[in-house]
Amino acid sequence: MKIEDRLSLLNYKTDKSYAHITVKPDICETCPDHFCTFACPAKCYTLIEGKLNFKYEDCVECGTCVVACAHDSVTWTNPKGAHGIKYKFG
Amino acid sequence: MSEFDAIVVGAGPAGASAAIRLASSKKNVLLVEKSDPPGSKNVSGGVLWGNGLSAIIPDWEKSAPVERFVDTKSVAFLTQDSKIGIDFSSKKLEQKKTGYTVLRARLDQWLARKAKEAGAMVINGITVEKLHIENGKVTGIEQDGDVITSDTVILCEGANPRVAINSGLRKPLTDHDVAIGVKEVIKLPENTINERFHLKSGAGFACEYVLGYLKGGVEAGGFLYTNKDSISVGIVVSMSHLRKNDATHTYDMIEEFTAHPYIAPLLQGGEMQEYSAHMVQEGGFSSIPKLYGNGYMIAGDSAGFSFSNGLVLQGMNYAIDSGIAAADTFAAAYDKKNFTENALKSYQDRLEGSYVMKDMRSFKGIGDVTWSPFVHKKIPAMLESLMMGLFMEEGRPKKHMTRMLLDALSQNDMLRVSSLMDAYRMMRRM
Repeated sequence: MKIEDRLSLLNYKTDKSYAHITVKPDICETCPDHFCTFACPAKCYTLIEGKLNFKYEDCVECGTCVVACAHDSVTWTNPKGAHGIKYKFG
Repeated sequence: MSEFDAIVVGAGPAGASAAIRLASSKKNVLLVEKSDPPGSKNVSGGVLWGNGLSAIIPDWEKSAPVERFVDTKSVAFLTQDSKIGIDFSSKKLEQKKTGYTVLRARLDQWLARKAKEAGAMVINGITVEKLHIENGKVTGIEQDGDVITSDTVILCEGANPRVAINSGLRKPLTDHDVAIGVKEVIKLPENTINERFHLKSGAGFACEYVLGYLKGGVEAGGFLYTNKDSISVGIVVSMSHLRKNDATHTYDMIEEFTAHPYIAPLLQGGEMQEYSAHMVQEGGFSSIPKLYGNGYMIAGDSAGFSFSNGLVLQGMNYAIDSGIAAADTFAAAYDKKNFTENALKSYQDRLEGSYVMKDMRSFKGIGDVTWSPFVHKKIPAMLESLMMGLFMEEGRPKKHMTRMLLDALSQNDMLRVSSLMDAYRMMRRM
């Protein structure tokens, strides 16, 4: 099953006013590896025409990207007020 | 005067166990959980090994939302074409139940309810940002500028301990400390699972796999556990090995596993109910931070207490027992009204005296073995050629088994000194 279809099975309470993860575009622009795009299991990090695109809305809060990024671009916080992923099984 | 005797951050197995223990001894305890309901952000494989919960919830097995007790435990190597494994099924595992498959969204919610019933105040949907620290002593938690005070804070945040890191109590995690776990829950009728895995009603199958065939040569482990009417299936890949072979997406790797010729039939006809992922603490002994200080203790995954030797993956048992140890340490400190680093030092002693730190110490360095080309490439290839040798019938005279083993070893380059050293290291560390 495509990752997009797998993600569509999930429930989120998206916080439209707060992105719990942010990246620094100037760092990502010169990044030699873009390892985040391979490590993130929720495909939040993608390359569009060679440029890194990040969306926090699909994040499953696994914590991988902040360790995966070796260039200190990722700032990781927990979503606030029960926002974010809501697993039924876990 | 603090508002609470103790605040526990995180309502997973570690935090809920600590809160239940504290509330049971009439301490005024607050259990704070960021998800609502508790457990709805938590992921584990997951088999809950051991009977640690009996110390705080007698007869827990009767009321806990467990899926199945494990009566068949397997380990297997997978190559492109083959599965070479060992199955252990035993009446003994039915009599003495040692592992239960669980789904964390259900288990953790139940544990939080138990904490509430025991007298803890449980609040959900509150994200603790950092600890409140005054004059070098942790005196509470902070959220959105609000402070809630307590004599001690027990941090049980799980595998991604943001509060501990933000408060400077733990170094940021590195490649060495973590692996990435990716999982799918596949729905199948209870009877189909029983028939497919040869299980009696209520009994379950749990298998860990060494995956030596993934694209890009990435070394990963797989797991497959039966729930009541679903199957939990997934992979665990170490961050450093994924980085070395940075050509594969983690979300594709799990598909490579579930498409394997001897895994796919087990899932056939099933409907995917959930996709999930979480970091896994993998660093073992060398990833364990300082576990206590003035006014705080760290337990469970936040403390790096998880274990994998390729045969089993364990973490929830360590979480429960370290949570209980932290609660007992607090109770002793409470009697003396002293919550300084010195007073909480006995947390370390308690853990050292239990299997928690003993396991961490005796399996120090196991990661070098479990994540090695020796285990992931050479052993599976050697076993495959040995099995083919043993079971092929080509109308030619048969060789003795010792000869065949030697042939299989030499075909796979395993009679070299370096391979013998790898084998020796593996035997020693396992």
